[in-house]
Amino acid sequence: MVLESFLDQPIVVALAVLALGLIVGFIVGRINEELLRAAGVSEAVEGTPFERSAQSLGTSTVKIVARLSSWFIYGIALLTAIHIAELFPAEAYWQTIVTFVPQLFVAVLVVLIGFVAADKAELATSEYLRGVKLPEVSILPRIVKYSVLYVAFLIALAQVGVYVMPLLILLTVYTLGLVIVGAFAFKDFLISSAVGIYLLLNQPYSIGDEVEIGERTGIVQEVDLFVTKIESESEEHVIPNRVVFEDGFARVRR
Amino acid sequence: MVDVDDMFGDLFDDVEAVVLFSPSGSLFERLSRLEDLELIVAGTQNSVGADTFIELPIEFQDVSERVRFGLEGGLEKGILEDGDTLACATSVFGDGIDTISRVRVDGSGELGLYNLFAKSRADPDVIKSVLELAIELGKKGQKGKPVGALFVVGDAGKVMNKSRPLSYNPFEKSHVHVGDPIVNVMLKEFSRLDGAFIISDSGKLVSAYRYLEPSAEGVDIPKGLGARHMAGGAITRDTNAIAIVLSESDGMVRAFKAGEIILEVDPEAY
Repeated sequence: MVLESFLDQPIVVALAVLALGLIVGFIVGRINEELLRAAGVSEAVEGTPFERSAQSLGTSTVKIVARLSSWFIYGIALLTAIHIAELFPAEAYWQTIVTFVPQLFVAVLVVLIGFVAADKAELATSEYLRGVKLPEVSILPRIVKYSVLYVAFLIALAQVGVYVMPLLILLTVYTLGLVIVGAFAFKDFLISSAVGIYLLLNQPYSIGDEVEIGERTGIVQEVDLFVTKIESESEEHVIPNRVVFEDGFARVRR
Repeated sequence: MVDVDDMFGDLFDDVEAVVLFSPSGSLFERLSRLEDLELIVAGTQNSVGADTFIELPIEFQDVSERVRFGLEGGLEKGILEDGDTLACATSVFGDGIDTISRVRVDGSGELGLYNLFAKSRADPDVIKSVLELAIELGKKGQKGKPVGALFVVGDAGKVMNKSRPLSYNPFEKSHVHVGDPIVNVMLKEFSRLDGAFIISDSGKLVSAYRYLEPSAEGVDIPKGLGARHMAGGAITRDTNAIAIVLSESDGMVRAFKAGEIILEVDPEAY
């Protein structure tokens, strides 16, 4: 009789729920960590600055994400316990908390993923551009990184219900600007490389042929993505591939 | 009792600079902290981040060749001057630096070796890869048998016009460059073909199976070398290309420029 009435006490139930939540949270965290490891996440994030700073703090990306899921469950357990124990009578207040916590969780997760994805994108871009030995090019990976980060933060902020419209407009303007500037600045390069791809694939002329492009005649010495180098007796002409298509070319027969 | 320092200390008397050949990072750190000592680093790559650096195209095994090439490179770049006295620290037996020799820079006896890399039409990296390839081919041969090979590097347009195909060009419409990982194996397989490999300034393999048709007059190569060397030497006189020849009979790798031999290395020594 005494035991039953003791078990009916809301505070006891609340404590039980809390304990259960702690155990489940811990187990879920562990399972999550194993799953992420098995899915190869730790290899995928290896070498990114985020992972490195996590390592220097004695943890890792996988651990952080796993902990996050644990803490999420702890939080839910704690809130449920508080609800059961009826510490907060205000029902409306309770509603907001219940909807807000998962959103916060997703937001934090998005930011985490955003950081890793941004670092990854930066690495991939710089790896891709390594063949281009120009100091100016090193800014491109940075731009890519911060663009990805910006988008991640936008999503996270939208999750927690911050008014993101102005930021979204900023993003649009920024993207448009990037596209327009890129199209203008690299117009010649883009056309030349398109023609260059055709020239390299079909090889209408190859090294050693004598060709006439516009006014210039010479022996082809080199064909690459952007330019064709032809050499006459006294001069070596470097002709953008764009010009090859605009002016046309003639192969000189001997 | 005579001190060892008394005997050999004058090795370092009024040297203008110390040339370190492929030093370890810690050694360079310690030496660079010394005041009024001019340090020059020579090696295949500037791994210690030295201010004055002379690049060597290959890791010369022969010490005198290594030092000579280093000094020539320094002369060419204007780091060194004729008549400078240097202490060259290099490694002969082990991995680390174990030998110091006192060398006087002599500008007259030029080998033209540095010339081959730095002043040729083709990219130095391309020449370096082709040279390494020829050396490797000479060392291993093709399936254990010695092979010969002839690579003509640079000025490919002109070379193509001074040669004719012996058969279909296996590199037709391909985009293979020397230095690509698969190329060494590929060239090893193709080296059984007769004729020359033609490589462009930027390292594109333009053709294999080429029969070179230069005019051979005025080409001065040592007697006893065969048709392959003659062809390779002669084409470099007619064009701005360089030729790297692996001899089938004696296994030596020779480089020609402007019709003259400017480098001769034994692959076995590397």
